[in-house]
Amino acid sequence: MRKTRVFTHSLLASALMLGSVTAYASTLTVSSPQDPGSWDPIDTFLVNWSSVATNIFDGLTYRGPDLKLVPGLATAWEELDKGSRIRFTLREGVTFHNGEPFNAQAVKFTFDRLLGEEGARGPQASNYSAISEVNVIDDYTVDFRLAQPDPVLLTKLAGYGAMIVPPQYITEHGDEHFNRNPIGTGPFKLADYTPRESVRLDAYEDHWAGAPKLSQVNYRFISEPATAVAELQAGRVDIVIPPTIPIGMIDTIKNNPSLSIVSVASPTVEALRFNTKSGITADERVRKAIIMAVDRDAIIDSILAGEAQSIASFQGALSFGYDPELKPLPYDPQQAKSLLKEAGIKPGTQLQIDVRGNDSTFGEVAQVIASYLQMVGLNVSIRPYETNVLLNDIIPAGRTGDMFQQKWGGWTFDYDNTAYLMYHTGERWNPYDSDPKLDKMLEEQRSLTDQAKREQLLQFIARYTQDRVLEIPLYNVNALYGVNNRVQNFQAAPDNRLRLNEVYIAE
Amino acid sequence: MARFLLYRIFQAFFVIIAVTLIVSFAIRLTGDPALMLSQGAGSVTEEDLANIREALGLNQPFLAQYMDFLKGLLVGDLGKSFMGGISVTELVARALPATLALAFTSLIVSIVISIPLGIKAATSRGRWPDQVIRILSLVGLSFPNFWLAIMLVLLFSITMSWLPPSGMEGFESFIMPAATMGIILTATNVRLVRTTMLETLNAQFVMVARAKGLSENVVLYKHALRNCSIPLITYFGLQFGGLLGGIVVIERVFNWPGLGTLAFDAVAARDYPVLQGVITVLSLLIISINLIVDIAYGLVDPRMRKG
Repeated sequence: MRKTRVFTHSLLASALMLGSVTAYASTLTVSSPQDPGSWDPIDTFLVNWSSVATNIFDGLTYRGPDLKLVPGLATAWEELDKGSRIRFTLREGVTFHNGEPFNAQAVKFTFDRLLGEEGARGPQASNYSAISEVNVIDDYTVDFRLAQPDPVLLTKLAGYGAMIVPPQYITEHGDEHFNRNPIGTGPFKLADYTPRESVRLDAYEDHWAGAPKLSQVNYRFISEPATAVAELQAGRVDIVIPPTIPIGMIDTIKNNPSLSIVSVASPTVEALRFNTKSGITADERVRKAIIMAVDRDAIIDSILAGEAQSIASFQGALSFGYDPELKPLPYDPQQAKSLLKEAGIKPGTQLQIDVRGNDSTFGEVAQVIASYLQMVGLNVSIRPYETNVLLNDIIPAGRTGDMFQQKWGGWTFDYDNTAYLMYHTGERWNPYDSDPKLDKMLEEQRSLTDQAKREQLLQFIARYTQDRVLEIPLYNVNALYGVNNRVQNFQAAPDNRLRLNEVYIAE
Repeated sequence: MARFLLYRIFQAFFVIIAVTLIVSFAIRLTGDPALMLSQGAGSVTEEDLANIREALGLNQPFLAQYMDFLKGLLVGDLGKSFMGGISVTELVARALPATLALAFTSLIVSIVISIPLGIKAATSRGRWPDQVIRILSLVGLSFPNFWLAIMLVLLFSITMSWLPPSGMEGFESFIMPAATMGIILTATNVRLVRTTMLETLNAQFVMVARAKGLSENVVLYKHALRNCSIPLITYFGLQFGGLLGGIVVIERVFNWPGLGTLAFDAVAARDYPVLQGVITVLSLLIISINLIVDIAYGLVDPRMRKG
């Protein structure tokens, strides 16, 4: 009860323009590893853009930490013309932070801008290329016309490039001004931004979902993990958001009685993918043997401090297309040995694994994998590359060793986003394999509007990749948040899109 | 004198060209910023990447990009950050004072410690105070500075809660970073003060001063130290330049809003313009410091004017 009274008191006080003194108690400080530099939704695809901007902007749809899609600025939607048109009914009485009204014109302006010249200069436009046109039907009704079906579109409307922006404000002040002085309809408004140092948000009392409980959120950009954790320990930062906390620092935080680690499965999955075209890994039996030789659960327990889940295909349990019935291949070194023997692989055969050199955790994982493979008679050399070189030059050009590290994950949590890009012939991330049957299934699921059917097909694709042993699916890592215990109502967001309107601070 | 100056400025100009050319070229070998910007974008196509490259001006040949950079440099425009299009001149202008303030404070810390210790070591040459100071200096030299920084944070911010672990928020936030840098510098400086002092103490005027019956303190601090100060000031001046390079790691650990943090994050994001900007400004600074020292020499010693 006392908490509520203090809170009401502080609200009253801010109403009386005395806010700066009393409101201090409800300022939350968050450490974020990166400043995106621009707050314009069409400019960025950095995860740490969205961890701040999720509080400034709203989309037509909303997806919270439970990953369920619910109404946002649109209260309802329906598919028309066999899915080639979606009609949205918009929320009435919503205003942007500057008082500008939200309506159908704002929606049209947002998407014309995203899909037009402005958007082409950023990385966002291509995600929404399924939309051919937005038509205003009346003040609170819009139609999206689709050039091609996009089963993930409604999810994509909940984040990043689809955030609704104010037409008058942008027309009047220009894009450059908007980059640093963003205006949205979200629960917090930008109060102060110092590039590369900090950004401060104030509560937007008139938000359509009610005023947020905090009066202020202060984000500090701290890129060095040890420093961010030190600030958390010193009580000067309340939440350290991912991707910051390394596995090695989990205990430091857990052992501190006023701090906690809150973790949730993230979109990120790790795998070692195979060169299926040449070398010993061109043989399916060898690939299978390699998987069975590695105890993946032991790796999760020992190196990742249990902060990961084993996976059977290249997706986590939250992904659309995940099949709980599909189990990982068992750890069975005996079977692995006999498979290798059957394939005619002599003990002592060389094998190369390419990894990202700056990823120290995965470096350890690779070492352990190498020793497991040693036990079945394979001699492994680990080759670290500078991350950019591995991603730009080595993988797309098909110049990897027998196996290579692939870290993957998208905020939409849809297996299509992984499977199509990993397995379809000719894709950037698929330098070795070409399977017409797989190609056909991958194309087919994209055109399905019946989500139940699409899920079934995606599950079948996952099973198919396991049968063909296209990679060692290793694990799905957790997103780790370091949180001070005075932070109440905190719910870890799997995708780092951390909306803070329900969070408050205990006295 | 005018010819000497002209020659040195001409030389400085070529150094700037060489440094910026190497940096601009080298960072372009390290990876594609378009890919960094679209990381996490699920369905990024080659066409999208090409669009982004065009927007960032990366589709131009290297020499054209470099000439654009030089043209901007002439009017003080260092370009725009790839991360959100912020003006690099603005970012550097904000970060430079923070870095200079930290470097200056560190140098002061080091001078205040190393002069008395160096003199003590020189006057007790071979005896235990000298040995202890020399061992301490060796220990100081072998410290990795980031380790020292982390230890200080653990002790003073986390265990004692006396000082803020990071950021630049006033006098308190200077203490740990300046102490870390200062201690590392002191390790070298003590040795320098000791050697310079030993040479001076052997000079005849010291013997004369002692023969006059002056007290040992007057001999040391009034006569000997004053004569040491010329090589010491030169050395400290040059050290200031070197300090600017070494500050990167310390800035990162203390999340100091200076050039080091800016450069570090720029490398991680392949933000070419920011990195080029920081390095250009740093080299300009170091060249200016050297130039000033050279000119000062030239003024004092006519033999050096020919360079």
